[in-house]
Amino acid sequence: MASTQRQSNAVGLSFRLAWRNIWRHKRRTWLTALAMIFSNVLLVFMISLQFGSYEMMINNSLRMLSGQVQVQMDGYLDEQKMRQVIAGIDHLAGAIRQRVKGVNVAARASAFVLVSSEERSFGAQLLGVQPGHEGGVSTIPGLVKHGRYLDDTGAAEIVIGSVMARNLKVGVGDELTFLGSGRDGSFAAGVLTVVGVFHSGSQDLDRGLAEVPLGYFQEAFAMRGSGHVIALATDELDSVSATLAALGPVIAEHDGLVALDWEELMPGLKQAIQADMTSAWFMYGVLIILVAFSVLNTQLMSVLERTREFGMIMALGIRPRKLVSLVLLETLMMALLGFLIGMFLGFLVTAYYAHTGFAYPGMDEMGAKFNLPSVIYPSLGPLGLFLGPSVVLVFCVLAALYPAMKLYRLRPVEAMRSV
Amino acid sequence: MALAVKVSSTMAWRNLWRNYRRTLIMLLAIAVGVWAMIFLTALMRGMVDDMVKQGIRALPGHVQVHAHGYRDDPSVNYCLSAPGDVLLNVLRGQQIKAWTGRVKVPAMISSEYDNRGITLLGVDDEGEIALGFDRSKVFEGRFLNGVDDQGIVIGRKLMERLETRLGKRVVVMSQGPDNDITERGFRIVGIYRAELESIEDNVVYAGIGVVQQMLGIGSDISEIAVLGFDYQSPERLVSQIRSVAPDELEVLSWLELDPYLATMMEVMNGFVLVWMVVIFLALSFGLVNTLMMAVFERVREIGLMQALGMRPSAIVFQILLESLILLSLGLLLGNLLAVATVIPLKDGIDISVVSQGMEMMGASSVLYPVLLWPDLLLANIVVIVLGILTSSLPAWHAAQYRPVEALTKA
Amino acid sequence: MSAIKCKEMCKFYPQGDAVIKGLDHVSLDIDQGSFICLSGPSGSGKTTLLNAIGGLDSLDSGEISINGERVDLLGKAALADLRLHHIGFVFQAYNLIPVLSAQENVEFVMQVQGVPAHERRQRSHKILEEVGLEGMENRRPAQLSGGQQQRVAVARAIVSQPKLVLADEPTANLDSRSMENLMSHFRELNRSHDVTFLIATHDQRVMQWAERRIDMEDGRVIRDELRRTA
Repeated sequence: MASTQRQSNAVGLSFRLAWRNIWRHKRRTWLTALAMIFSNVLLVFMISLQFGSYEMMINNSLRMLSGQVQVQMDGYLDEQKMRQVIAGIDHLAGAIRQRVKGVNVAARASAFVLVSSEERSFGAQLLGVQPGHEGGVSTIPGLVKHGRYLDDTGAAEIVIGSVMARNLKVGVGDELTFLGSGRDGSFAAGVLTVVGVFHSGSQDLDRGLAEVPLGYFQEAFAMRGSGHVIALATDELDSVSATLAALGPVIAEHDGLVALDWEELMPGLKQAIQADMTSAWFMYGVLIILVAFSVLNTQLMSVLERTREFGMIMALGIRPRKLVSLVLLETLMMALLGFLIGMFLGFLVTAYYAHTGFAYPGMDEMGAKFNLPSVIYPSLGPLGLFLGPSVVLVFCVLAALYPAMKLYRLRPVEAMRSV
Repeated sequence: MALAVKVSSTMAWRNLWRNYRRTLIMLLAIAVGVWAMIFLTALMRGMVDDMVKQGIRALPGHVQVHAHGYRDDPSVNYCLSAPGDVLLNVLRGQQIKAWTGRVKVPAMISSEYDNRGITLLGVDDEGEIALGFDRSKVFEGRFLNGVDDQGIVIGRKLMERLETRLGKRVVVMSQGPDNDITERGFRIVGIYRAELESIEDNVVYAGIGVVQQMLGIGSDISEIAVLGFDYQSPERLVSQIRSVAPDELEVLSWLELDPYLATMMEVMNGFVLVWMVVIFLALSFGLVNTLMMAVFERVREIGLMQALGMRPSAIVFQILLESLILLSLGLLLGNLLAVATVIPLKDGIDISVVSQGMEMMGASSVLYPVLLWPDLLLANIVVIVLGILTSSLPAWHAAQYRPVEALTKA
Repeated sequence: MSAIKCKEMCKFYPQGDAVIKGLDHVSLDIDQGSFICLSGPSGSGKTTLLNAIGGLDSLDSGEISINGERVDLLGKAALADLRLHHIGFVFQAYNLIPVLSAQENVEFVMQVQGVPAHERRQRSHKILEEVGLEGMENRRPAQLSGGQQQRVAVARAIVSQPKLVLADEPTANLDSRSMENLMSHFRELNRSHDVTFLIATHDQRVMQWAERRIDMEDGRVIRDELRRTA
């Protein structure tokens, strides 16, 4: 009892001592803390901005068309051969809908065709979709600007992108013919009525994508009830792994099927994020090292100028270990100051931009390449808030190890003689 | 001689080494900061440079001439006739390294197994090579031979997708001027590889004469691609060609043709400056701190110097000089470090682990750092100018002591 | 003609609750070429008086003029120039710039004045010899004894041939012989070049050299008398 009492007194004393020590040089302490605050604000904002833009990149890219998970035949992703089909795709999609909860499921078939109007012809990707389900996976049905989306799974109707409509010089109600080859290599052709024109903002899709009902597609391309892809969309990106797990037993019943998550579907997106992350962390790393240097310098000064004082304390019989922990405690306090204030200000800045959105000149053109709007909203979350400042905190305390360790080599008598 | 340069610099130098540990740490911090400024800028420049090169090669050329409407609707309906004498005269001028006319239309290609939407290029092989097509990229077979070559050259990725190979036949379908579907069989005579997979997948080369005949457009072409000597400033070239081109033609530089690239360059310039300033700011706290400490320790000397008749401005000068020496040493070290790390990397950094990501940005999977004099200069200017500015705070502070206060300070 | 005129100088320092009277309505006239000793217990205001005349410290009230120019009205830069060209200082303690050698310390003022290098060298050599520090030119202050440091400071104060020398306990660290040497040197300068000396001291032996002796207590002049000197 008494000993714990004594211990807590000693701890209290250390805290008081450390606190007073860091304020012996007010200006120095504040300047050092300011360095931390500066980088912490920057880190909180930048990391939140990164998270925000990644989220938007992923969501915009995935929500547009691909979904977060797709079931395909093994090898289809890379080769996209007409014959790599999932047999009885309607049935399988129905089964998944029943057995995997909380997801939207849509079956698709896909082919490259030459689409012609009276005046023009262009190559396009033709997608057979389930009109009733497609809207749960893709935003394209909602992006129809003229006319309507598909509604009947067997009808000879087509929805095309806005650029394609312009290039083909067609509008709602006009007829298009398409020319391609079916699953068995046979000639596939037909006449379709344009019922809707969508505008997604993505040049590639607006120029090159057309959608027809899956039933019609299967007829025209001799698919015999098969398709190429079952796309799944969940509300949250986080639940992708749960979805994959639930999907496992369902697809295990069929030979050659694989479930792919968005990272596999869009390796470019994942890698673009990785590349961006890497360069970002290089920058953060430099920033953090510079702040650590600042702390190292301050603490070294603080130890050196107190050599006499430390010598005197050691002469009184205090172990060097105590002094080392005192110096580290001082550093920790200073670092916490930078941590708290930096995080708070970082939070304010981020919250402001999370509200108003953040843009820089040239972001329009840059963003379009990555399915980003011209204004990005930083994502304000605990990870973005804590990650940067925590790393700074750790490095700052590490930086103080060198000056603190010098105390082990201090000899009281010499120390007291020094100036 | 009011500033007493000689004695001030002697003192500044010696003062710097009184607390050599502190100076060394600060020196190291400046060096690391400067290194990071230059190194990252070199990497970023390398990336953008690569993107621009790829972009210009894909366009190709620094300037292109189209019929109005073609860019919006790249079909065979917007053609231009082969350049007339006046235009030819300019195209053969001094300012122009190479030019070529091409037919470029959307088309569909079919093998016996699959079909794909592609961009069909009808090219003059020599002109195309002069514009930047690298013949050695054709790793199987050969490139086209003359404008009437009956063969076709496709990309590796497209070959895989079509499950076809060298020597096989493919059918190309496109649209003629009257929307009649024209088609023609070609034998694959070459397979090429490109830095970007999207190019391999999409671009198909055939002889221009054959394509013109297939489409039934006589000697008309889709575009004229022009290569100048300096991609940075295509404006002169544009105005020169524009002055002689018929009105119905649109003459644009690559900056206008590919706004993404142009923006990328601009954004990069902005980014470089922001990055350097941010790094400097991170350094500045340590710099001010170091100088503040130095002033604080030397208050009495400063008082003494004032008592001996040194003006406050000379005191400011001396502290600034001390900071300038520190900054210059740090810069020297940082520059050397940056050059020493960039030079061994001049053969490129393999970043193929994120190649598809880089492709999204339009860059290839080998990164060549590019060290530009203006960037190097900018980093040094930022550090010196802002460094002196921030140092003037402690320097000014030093001159504020009244001599007697300073002298009597314990 | 009077070189220095001081009228009703006041300087008070608050210290805790009390107020220390540095200068309490002090008026003084000092002729050019005077050789004056200031005496009095510590805290009596000697240093304050020297600092005020040298423009190191500002007055609360009162006037100081040197050769008709109001020192108390000058700005910092002008004061610095005044000290640089007309006044030599020897301080009680902490006299030398630690990063400069003995010779560089002596040359410091001349360097700021812009005296050419060869002349500086000549003069500093000569003066260091005179104060008995030949062979120690390149030592830094930390490598010199207290007395040697004091002599360097004195050498620096007089090497630029100022018209007024303000010395605060210049003999504090000196043995008798060095003291005698120093004082005779001062006196010599005083006579040959008409340099005014104002020397604050505790030392009775130093006071023997004075032409005029001013005693201070609590910031006031309690005695001011001319003496015949040896």
